[in-house]
Amino acid sequence: MNNKNSRIILEDQKGDFLYQKSKSNLDITFNRIAFVFFVFFIIFLIYSIHLIHLGSRKVKIEINNKIVTPLNDLYRADIVDRNGKYIGKTISSIDIGIAPSKIINKKKLIINLKYIFPDKDYHEVEKRIKKGNFFYFKKKISDENYEKLMKLGDKSIEPRDNLIRIYPQKNLFSHIIGQIDNNNNGISGLEKSLDKKLKNIQESVTLTVDRDIQFLIRNELIKFNDIFNSKGSAAILMNVNNGEIISLVSLPDFNPNKREKIIDVNFINRATKGVYEFGSVFKTFTIAAALNEKIIEPETEFSDLPKSITCAGFPIREYDQNIPSTLTAEQILIRSGNIGSVRIGQKIGEDKYKSFLSKVGITGGINFDIEEVGKPLKFNWGKCPLATASFGHGITTTLLQVVKAYSIIVNGGFDVDPILIKKKKIIKKEKILNEEVSKKILPILRKIVSTKEGTAKLANVNGYEIGGKTGTANKSFEGGYSNKKINTFVSIFPTSKPKFILAVMLEEPQLNEDYIYEYRDGSNFKLKGSPRNTAGWNSVEAAGHIVEKIGPILATKYSKIN
Amino acid sequence: MKKFSVICLILFLILITALIKNSTKRIDDEIFAKEENIRSLKKDFENIKLEYDYLSSAEKLLEFQDLYFENDLVKKSIQEIKIINNKSNKLEFKKLKLIND
Repeated sequence: MNNKNSRIILEDQKGDFLYQKSKSNLDITFNRIAFVFFVFFIIFLIYSIHLIHLGSRKVKIEINNKIVTPLNDLYRADIVDRNGKYIGKTISSIDIGIAPSKIINKKKLIINLKYIFPDKDYHEVEKRIKKGNFFYFKKKISDENYEKLMKLGDKSIEPRDNLIRIYPQKNLFSHIIGQIDNNNNGISGLEKSLDKKLKNIQESVTLTVDRDIQFLIRNELIKFNDIFNSKGSAAILMNVNNGEIISLVSLPDFNPNKREKIIDVNFINRATKGVYEFGSVFKTFTIAAALNEKIIEPETEFSDLPKSITCAGFPIREYDQNIPSTLTAEQILIRSGNIGSVRIGQKIGEDKYKSFLSKVGITGGINFDIEEVGKPLKFNWGKCPLATASFGHGITTTLLQVVKAYSIIVNGGFDVDPILIKKKKIIKKEKILNEEVSKKILPILRKIVSTKEGTAKLANVNGYEIGGKTGTANKSFEGGYSNKKINTFVSIFPTSKPKFILAVMLEEPQLNEDYIYEYRDGSNFKLKGSPRNTAGWNSVEAAGHIVEKIGPILATKYSKIN
Repeated sequence: MKKFSVICLILFLILITALIKNSTKRIDDEIFAKEENIRSLKKDFENIKLEYDYLSSAEKLLEFQDLYFENDLVKKSIQEIKIINNKSNKLEFKKLKLIND
């Protein structure tokens, strides 16, 4: 019996259940601790990540600002010039409206409003309240008045956010900037071409133009518009090496702050949109094409040049009847010989001349930062058209394209695209012309300004080594030519190392009998009244005065002083 | 010992978590306040800059010249402007050129 009992006890002590329960308890305790530890570890991890995130948030915001910002109907980025001066600025304003249906105590509301805006006509306000429709009580209120109104706590006073786009420079950049409509959409100029960008970026858009230089050029152009009673005028100042437009003026212009609908065609952008025949300005292209093809040298002589030739029944005459019959290529350009240019054009041939003009961007369109760009009229090439094109007759283009082509010719033959929006990186351009072209043509362009025979003596401002070419063309209309002129002067300075190109164009200038010309040859000679209505007597004079005004700024601001 | 160290670690983590949470909240508030201040300062700066741009525009400066300086300010030609270099107490005058090689 005893043996039996002791066996039972032994079985109880060896019970698997007891042993397993104890083992199980140990496991549960350990798992709970591990679980709690895990939870806290996760919380710790989350906050650590959050802390790291906060630490790095500033950088992220900056990066995000550059890429994505919410599209806001009331937002439009500012536009500044190359020196950070505002050209277009968005100011948010608050308009105060009154919702009559929400008025609790009309008398109290009127008294309170009278206290803040004592000058308002409250009879009119009361009448409008009676009508019961929402109306604007006051637009563009100050922060101070807004605060006072909000402190009234009247729910019938409803503030509405509004956007005002202001142009502090008024007319100065009107043809570049353009306008926006009442719905904050760009309708012309950069406001139109950059519309999407301006609504999406937070930083300002920096242009290549210079406010002060633009002001000086515009002032001079207005002055000479009055002197020569021109219908309109245009000027472009550009860096020949990188295509940055420092100034672009077209007159007449408009004040974009007025938000007027411009339908008068005289307000066309003459610098970029107007398509004209530029006359003798094209002779530079003819000589440059021949130099590029190595057909001529500046010293190449052309003899027995007649004063007049006939092509397809139409006469081609020399403007200067005293021009010698034997001239070198250089003299043809300096004295602006028509027949000599025709001879050079014929030597080049239609295909090569056509290809040259296309290469330097004269024919065809041009990609530009604004949409208001003209397209040259279709030119039907042939034997006679080649002859007329070689001295700039019958072939059309825009002033902007002339500036581009001249820049390529004088900058060593590098392709250059005119730009209005400043680029952070300057892309190295492809060389499209023989380098010798610039070296050979620049001294000739200089002689046009510096020698007695040249047609642009009035632009020989001391200290700037100005070179250039004049162009006087009769305005064409359907089926013929009028006596009205397009007078252009394209100047490059300094010719020893070209940096700037300034093109001045006057449309339909008139003679001025009272204007006094001061010769720039050191003789102190003065001449009263314009002898001829040619570019040499109006556009060149205007360009000379412009360079005189802007030159010191260009020399100090745009050059490194050791 | 193992249990004790695990409990200590948990307590330590709770403490750290609380500290981090509080500091995070504080930093968050500070950032918000700073951002608001920057926004308001930026607005003020832009308005003042706009005013400065307007008052310092060539048009206004010429107006001020006529009003206050009359003939005190004169136009200089490039030949009248010189670059002065002071090399070991010796002044050197150079002509101002459009291009400096």
